[in-house]
Amino acid sequence: MIDVILQAFASIVLDPVTLGLMFVGTLAGILAGAIPGFTIAMGVILTLPFTFGMTAVQGLATMLGVFVGGFSGGLMSCMLTGIPGTPSSVATTFDGFPLVRSGRPGLALGLGLWSSFFGGMISAVILVALAPQLAFLGLEFGPWDYFSLIIFALTITVSLSGGNITKGLIAGLLGLFAATVGEDEINGVARFTFGFDDFKQGFAFLPVLIGLFAFSQLLTDVEDDKRAKSPLMSQSGTVVKVEHRQAILIILKRWVNLFRSSFIGIFTGILPAAGGSISNILAYDQAKKASANRSNFGKGEYDGVIAPEAANNATAGGALIMMMALGIPGDIVTAVMLGALMIHNIIPGPTFIQDEPLLAYGVFIAFFVAHFFMVGLQAFSLRIFLLVTKIPMYVLASVILAYCAIGVFALHNIVFDIWVMFFFGVIGYFMKKLGFPLAPMILGVVLGKLAELNLARATGISDDMLLFISRPWSLFFLLMAVISVIFPFYQEAKKETLFAKLYVPISMIVLSLPLFLMGSPVRMIVAIILVLTGAYFLYKRTSSLKTT
Amino acid sequence: MSINKDTIVAIFLLLFCGIMINSSFDIEDPGYQGMKASFWPTIVLCLLSVMSFVMLIKSMVSTTDNNLNSENTNSQNIFLKYKNASICFLMFILFLAFLDYLGMLIGGVLFVFGLLTLLGGFEIKKIINHSIISIITIGIMWSIFTFGLKVILPEGEILRIW
Repeated sequence: MIDVILQAFASIVLDPVTLGLMFVGTLAGILAGAIPGFTIAMGVILTLPFTFGMTAVQGLATMLGVFVGGFSGGLMSCMLTGIPGTPSSVATTFDGFPLVRSGRPGLALGLGLWSSFFGGMISAVILVALAPQLAFLGLEFGPWDYFSLIIFALTITVSLSGGNITKGLIAGLLGLFAATVGEDEINGVARFTFGFDDFKQGFAFLPVLIGLFAFSQLLTDVEDDKRAKSPLMSQSGTVVKVEHRQAILIILKRWVNLFRSSFIGIFTGILPAAGGSISNILAYDQAKKASANRSNFGKGEYDGVIAPEAANNATAGGALIMMMALGIPGDIVTAVMLGALMIHNIIPGPTFIQDEPLLAYGVFIAFFVAHFFMVGLQAFSLRIFLLVTKIPMYVLASVILAYCAIGVFALHNIVFDIWVMFFFGVIGYFMKKLGFPLAPMILGVVLGKLAELNLARATGISDDMLLFISRPWSLFFLLMAVISVIFPFYQEAKKETLFAKLYVPISMIVLSLPLFLMGSPVRMIVAIILVLTGAYFLYKRTSSLKTT
Repeated sequence: MSINKDTIVAIFLLLFCGIMINSSFDIEDPGYQGMKASFWPTIVLCLLSVMSFVMLIKSMVSTTDNNLNSENTNSQNIFLKYKNASICFLMFILFLAFLDYLGMLIGGVLFVFGLLTLLGGFEIKKIINHSIISIITIGIMWSIFTFGLKVILPEGEILRIW
């Protein structure tokens, strides 16, 4: 084990090429995160074509640089201009911008930067500790359980992506359908090719992803003629000196907030589709509730900067846990990383850490190292950021559209892939206009083949479809899927309704059933705790109903 | 009961499902044991049909103002709203259609220049800026992929003749 860790360490830290790539990746991530209209996912997607020629470790290390850099990049624009660079830094604006306006820009940036660093470090430790354990758990999964896990990943993506649940489910199903076009991997039979030879190879993952996400986003960015022609930011920031020492001292004094926010971030990251955009708001809200200076929030309170920034960087570690341990992407960024691994013929899953220990530990180490790059590059990237914000969006969009075409072509050296990207770009654009969330569709495309493969394996082993509900893990994930589909209705329901009062306790009691079926002592204890807590809530809520 | 954008989308999706389910009957069955190649897509399409039907019903009973005759849907507004996106679509189709002749280098430069000028404006100063931006950016990208990443980008018939 130590040998593997040392080798992985050497492949990242002692390899100047990998370090150089991570340097560029982190810088690109900070800028992508800082520019409003660009997202971290877009930055990672656009990095992917460059990684084809790299080794798997180098490719993933570069993308991790973009990922980690992106989270901290968002804080620059929100603090200096009041406009969040990414959705994951929205809550940072609430107190970060007032703190800058009160004449402490160096401290505000320092607090954001070091909270991001510490949050990332805490999540990196949890990632290293938890991912191999979760992978051991994953070894218990049969194809039935894996299929149900994918269904759960899709339904929770739908319920957390916001908006209309029907549209979310349709988007997810469209993604699953897109993955069926071309030759079927099990029998080698052509499907939905309509006589076109190009369709036989199916739609490659990368062109679909770039089309749906990057291409459609760029079209949306240039939609408004006036906005497209004006510089990216009307408010211009100035270069400030970051107050590192004082920021670190303030954060360490508020270590409870730091740890609480980091754990919120990690937990949110583990949930499929719940990324930094949710965790930063949740952490801010909890920090405000727990603070003795609640009235100071919104006026430049230090805790209001520490909480969202620690949480959003910790989300990255959480999302990686699911990808590394089970091969299920936690968000769009990890879906892209999954795609990058597949390009290198590596299929992530529960055996990934055992089968590819060098790569797995390389990812862990790269995640650590990326945070050091992020701190080191902040001051430098601030200057570049101020230059980039003077460019109008139409210039960036035009150049990036061309880059998308070149990048997509580089995947298989065929023009058909560029047509696929264009086709899905148009679909993505209109889907967004019509209120369909894109995240479920992207996850559907990524997980479609895996779902079909596991269904085929399951039905190949036994004709008994009841195994999907009689196997504890499969039942657990299917119940979670049902609970996640109902979740948006719970959110919309008024608090005093019977449904809203019963949703949580009944979900807890129902989820205990598969845990009881698993039989192991620890899981039995968890199941008993769930039942007792659920029963307590049920009693409290039904008795409050009787009194009203 | 009203007809709105969602109604039209739902009907389109139902038509799409119908065509694809019909096409799934043509999927060959090689006679191997195990799951047939048409099984999974049929499940997905059936679920998609059900959800599209739900969307259709919801859209027809919906009381929210998403009506086709609302202010935002007059032809001039639609043209202005989608003008820039349409320009991008059109330019990209042209770029792809002429890729075999122009190649990635020349085609890319012309695509970026055309798009920049159509989106940004036709003033002389801007045109000069746009030509410089398109040549430099595509030149750099082309060089990185060709020499750095060893990707053989489409050369185009024009460059091949030279």
